[in-house]
Amino acid sequence: MTTQRPTPISRHILIGVIIVLLATAAGIWSARLVLQRSGPQDELSATRFPVARAVQPFELVDHNNVAFNNASLQHRWSFMFFGYTYCPDVCPTTLSVLNSVAQRLQDLDVDVRFIMVTVDPERDTPERLAQFVTYFNGDFIGVTGTDEGLEQLTKQLGILHVRVQPEPGSDSYLMDHTAAVFLFDPDGRYHAVFSPPLSAEKIAGDFRKILQAYQ
Amino acid sequence: MIRIHKQLPAAIFFVMLCLLSPVMAAPAVDVEDPWIREAPPASTVLAAYMVIKNNGDTQYTITRIESPDFRDAQIHRTVVEDGVAKMMPVEQLPLPVHGSISFEPGGLHLMLFDPLRSLREGDEVKLVIHVSNGDSITVQAPVVRKRGEDDHAHHHH
Ligand SMILES: [Cu+2]
Repeated sequence: MTTQRPTPISRHILIGVIIVLLATAAGIWSARLVLQRSGPQDELSATRFPVARAVQPFELVDHNNVAFNNASLQHRWSFMFFGYTYCPDVCPTTLSVLNSVAQRLQDLDVDVRFIMVTVDPERDTPERLAQFVTYFNGDFIGVTGTDEGLEQLTKQLGILHVRVQPEPGSDSYLMDHTAAVFLFDPDGRYHAVFSPPLSAEKIAGDFRKILQAYQ
Repeated sequence: MIRIHKQLPAAIFFVMLCLLSPVMAAPAVDVEDPWIREAPPASTVLAAYMVIKNNGDTQYTITRIESPDFRDAQIHRTVVEDGVAKMMPVEQLPLPVHGSISFEPGGLHLMLFDPLRSLREGDEVKLVIHVSNGDSITVQAPVVRKRGEDDHAHHHH
């Protein structure tokens, strides 16, 4: 038996082939890692920002007349919705969806809060808001404040709210308002947004994925 | 197919009924499953939902719905435009021939202003639906508590 020694040229080819194979394997491996990481994002129905956005200072009050500001968003996840209590259709429907989300997330060992910020601070006093939000869930939080305080928060989130249809001879009016639900992470940053039509199942499912990617 | 099967016994019954009483005619417009969403305490606006059916060959219009238990009632449609929810008053609501229109959360609703008595779950509210042919249909709408805790169970109203 004789073994033929590889010539210098064929040895170079062999080394070249091995390098190409290794590079390809490394490429596939790292690509799979990247895909795995971005996998949950691709399946989200929510819009999650690649980098969570800092929230500029705002000053409001909750339904117990306690200050509600940037610090209030720290150390817990916060779902936030903008509405008003003279709203019989969209707002109760959204709060019902959020209550269903709360039920679906009960097994999680994380602090999650649900907040309705009124876009009608003129009529929505803390007392009125307290009655409205706690009807749906005793842990829900209503937030109101001054027009300036409200603007500080809504402007940076791109929330629209317009007073419409003042009935002649009556002080009643309706509000057009952004219907989305906003999610803030425990660093108090704007993390994701859920656009209508809202589904409790989708919001709860998305939140679990967002939580996984965050930890 | 399933729907036809479900409706078949009702259809047979209806045909027999017609044969028994030739003078009887089906009402042109029917109102089904009316309900009012219970409001949180201190709320002064409520919403009613229902399905209005047009059984006839004529296109009717709902001109007005009123309730003696409220100061005012308006037909509204909730629309979401560019992410912004708005309630648009609906002056005339056409009912398609042999069709139906659903009032449901996040869409068409009867907006009820200023209840004249306290309304809690289990109470019934009279609604009067006025049709363009001059008919008016009176229904009793139960007040229903819906807060999202029972969404798993798929309750039907
Ligand atoms: Cu309305």
